[in-house]
Amino acid sequence: MKRQRWIPLAAAALAILMVAPKLRAPGDYNGYDLPGFGSLPVVDRGRVKPLDTLARTSLLTISTKQTFYTDGENGTLERKRAEGMKKTSAMVWMLDVATKPMKARGYEVIRIDHPDVLSVLGLDRDRKYFSMNEILANADELDRQVRSAASVDDRNRNGFQRKMLQLSTQLNTYIALENVSGLLLVPPVVERNAEDWVALNTPHVHGSPDDRAHDPAVGFLDSAFTAWGGEDPASFNAAVAGYHANLDERIPSRMSKVRFETFFYAFSPFIQTMGLYVLAFILAVLSWLWMPRSLSRAALAVLVVGLVVHTFGLVARIWIQSRPPVTNLYSSALMVGWGAVVLGGLLERWFRNGVGAVVAAVMGFLSLLVAHHLSLDGDTMTMMQAVLDTNFWLATHVVVITLGYSSTFLAGVLGIVYVLRGVLTKTLGPDESRSLARMIYGIVCFATLFSFVGTILGGIWADQSWGRFWGWDPKENGALLIVLWNALVLHARWGGMVRERGLAVLAIGGNIVTAWSWFGTNMLGVGLHAYGFIDSAVFWMGIFVFSQLAIIGLGSIPRDKWRSPLKERAGGGKKGDGGRPTPAKAS
Amino acid sequence: MMRQLVKFWSSPRLTVWLLAGLMFLVFAGTWAQIDMGIWSTLKIYFRSLFVLVPFQIFLPRSWDVPGGIPFPGGFLIGGMLFINLVVSYLVRIRVNKKRFGLFLIHIALILLFVGEFVTALFAKESNMSIDEGQTVSYTEDTRTMELAIIDPGNPDVNHVVVIPESRLVRGGLISDPLLPFEIQVEDYYLNADLVNVKDRTEPVPGPKVDRGTGAMFGLAAVKRPVASGVTGNSMDLPVAFVTPFHEGQRLGTWMVSLYFSLIPEAQVQEVHVGDKTYQLALRYERTYKPYSLHLIDFAHDRYLGTDTPKNYSSHVRLVDAAQNEDREVLIYMNNPLRYRGETFYQASFKKGDGGTVLQVVRNPGWLIPYIACTIGAIGMCVQFGASLMRFLSRRRATS
Repeated sequence: MKRQRWIPLAAAALAILMVAPKLRAPGDYNGYDLPGFGSLPVVDRGRVKPLDTLARTSLLTISTKQTFYTDGENGTLERKRAEGMKKTSAMVWMLDVATKPMKARGYEVIRIDHPDVLSVLGLDRDRKYFSMNEILANADELDRQVRSAASVDDRNRNGFQRKMLQLSTQLNTYIALENVSGLLLVPPVVERNAEDWVALNTPHVHGSPDDRAHDPAVGFLDSAFTAWGGEDPASFNAAVAGYHANLDERIPSRMSKVRFETFFYAFSPFIQTMGLYVLAFILAVLSWLWMPRSLSRAALAVLVVGLVVHTFGLVARIWIQSRPPVTNLYSSALMVGWGAVVLGGLLERWFRNGVGAVVAAVMGFLSLLVAHHLSLDGDTMTMMQAVLDTNFWLATHVVVITLGYSSTFLAGVLGIVYVLRGVLTKTLGPDESRSLARMIYGIVCFATLFSFVGTILGGIWADQSWGRFWGWDPKENGALLIVLWNALVLHARWGGMVRERGLAVLAIGGNIVTAWSWFGTNMLGVGLHAYGFIDSAVFWMGIFVFSQLAIIGLGSIPRDKWRSPLKERAGGGKKGDGGRPTPAKAS
Repeated sequence: MMRQLVKFWSSPRLTVWLLAGLMFLVFAGTWAQIDMGIWSTLKIYFRSLFVLVPFQIFLPRSWDVPGGIPFPGGFLIGGMLFINLVVSYLVRIRVNKKRFGLFLIHIALILLFVGEFVTALFAKESNMSIDEGQTVSYTEDTRTMELAIIDPGNPDVNHVVVIPESRLVRGGLISDPLLPFEIQVEDYYLNADLVNVKDRTEPVPGPKVDRGTGAMFGLAAVKRPVASGVTGNSMDLPVAFVTPFHEGQRLGTWMVSLYFSLIPEAQVQEVHVGDKTYQLALRYERTYKPYSLHLIDFAHDRYLGTDTPKNYSSHVRLVDAAQNEDREVLIYMNNPLRYRGETFYQASFKKGDGGTVLQVVRNPGWLIPYIACTIGAIGMCVQFGASLMRFLSRRRATS
């Protein structure tokens, strides 16, 4: 077989091999059917989810991790102390918290970073994770500080006060799991009474006369918890199996989603996708140095495998939530990456020069990285605020706007490739310059289309729900800025104010505008749309804007100072400016 | 001269600079909303010819930076873009098959601009707040006040004379044949805190109140700066000091506050003239409608096991005697009621879910954006569809 054939095939096979092992269902834990227990349902934050998800998201909130280390007696997240311990799932931690509270209160899992919070509570400043016992040793001071932070108005809180309240959220999350009988664990008797979930303690405490006092769910759950506490795997597994059979009779279609969600989290498609995008990136960059044809094809092949997994993740979320793909900031990041990979992949297919694959991989990886950091807040499948509760507009306006973000970013990343290649390497000849400029131009057109249509759809939605087409609300203004910027780039190009280099530099400016619209407007804390806000986001936003400005500055240094050869008049819209054949095309 | 003018107005460079200017204006108008309400921002930044953009809006609020840059406002930039677009199409751009889609898109832009302009000039937004079981036949403009002198003599219909806020701000003596008495406006505070005189060590400046609720409870008003941030739940609570005169005789000084008309437990303030009794109230400016809405039920659903609202809905009965209309309507999020050129949206609710607040919008230009969108969508399909086809066929030809 020819090299151009087998290298891409081998790359695709490698990519699949990277992902495949994660598809296998996780095994038992010390003889306990932990996966079975993890896929039992619970209602939390308005949503029916597997216990596994509740355990993961709770541990995330508490520690920013989804696993911890334990040897059966002690538990920790401090690497130094974890020697000889086993990495264990959040489910084990949650079961310990619920059934062996005294022991679990010694696990060092509650993350505290702020030095002032640490010193106020008299905790060791060299550590990050602390046990409930250590923190509650100073309960009076903790209580006093949380109260005083809570009494300050939201917008006037300083960093210390915010961290104090965050700690209080962490502790409350923990305590909610200790009080396991307060969780909405008992499902409705039949599927159509979808809202009829009750807590484990409800039938007993109130001694209610209804027939659910002897609900089998209560019995199964009680014996599973007791068996875990009493180290009795056989009874534990029997209770779990019995309960699953019972659930299949009561809420079969709900259970199929719950079980699928357990698989979804164990598979963690977006983490797998990130690895594949890194591989695609490496292959595409290598293709600029060595075996251009084969390696750029290999990059595209890996990118496609990544895209398949990425798409699977999006579709899985759609099915689990019965919602369109974008419902919050986290899922918008997933979608931005997806759109960029699709467009970048198309560019690669059309231009076959490794550039499309590189930008697709970079954008895919970075936006999934952003998503990953946004997911550390807890459950990413949040319920919608009332005004946003409409699948039609979520599916149209929100998705199109998000694709507008994708394509504007993609044009910006292409611009960065242009500037970096031109200034730092000798590889940006007139031909490469022209084809890159054509890519940027095409993507800017797409970006204009998506952002314009998305903004207009948003206007119609606003007119339907608030009675005004346009309200100059911060998020609307953000969307408008993207449209205006893309229109500006196009008009500057049409009017001859910029040529290839100018187009690239302007496209990088689009990154700043889009980042502002996506995250910046949420940071202002005003407006009906502001749906998410993270403290450290302001810092990262600053870093990002600064880096983009730096690249714009780099792209603006005189052309004769660039390392790439100065071959003037490559652009200007004139065709047939017979450039030399390039290495990428020649092979 | 003429040629230069045409050249200037049809220049593509002008388009780019205007777009950049508009971006800056939108950006500034977004930052301004941290401290200013949306309505003030609209008036100052977007519906104006010029604006002074303070440097302060881009900086932490704890720094005190004076000064700003004068900048063209929304109407000026929008107007210039409009002229630029029209002149360009008249003298520079030939509309041909290749550019027809773009032409349609620009027509849509013009329409969107016109729509926004019509909205700016003619749209009226008001509120209708109804308690469960109550019937309301007026809307309230929560941005303007009125002083109402109510004659409750007739059990069926209250006879009401109102004095608009603008007249109250001017102060002085108001006499009108419609009024049962003359009214001297002693002072009008756009925003004030009501305080108990007993709690204050120093006397509170302002007119002395010797009648009504203020006198009875020993209340005084302390002036406050006008607050209008959208995020803070602070709202303006205006206060007026009024002295009615009947046949040259002073009847006393009353303090009326918006606060009294917002809380149901506040007492009605009465003025006795001879054997007649009138009520005084400072309230949101009302517009009476020829129809009424009766709130049957307000529902506020929450997600299972949480306090996150899932849906609000108002079950109302619409009665319009003139139209012989009597029907029940369910108004909820994303599902407004359109009636007699007005649109009623589920906007908010009262404490304890005991009542609803509907937003009522009259916008004669509401259809314009929809027409614009249709034209724009056709233009988009034509232009981008054609470009994509050309691009793909060129690729096929070269590869």
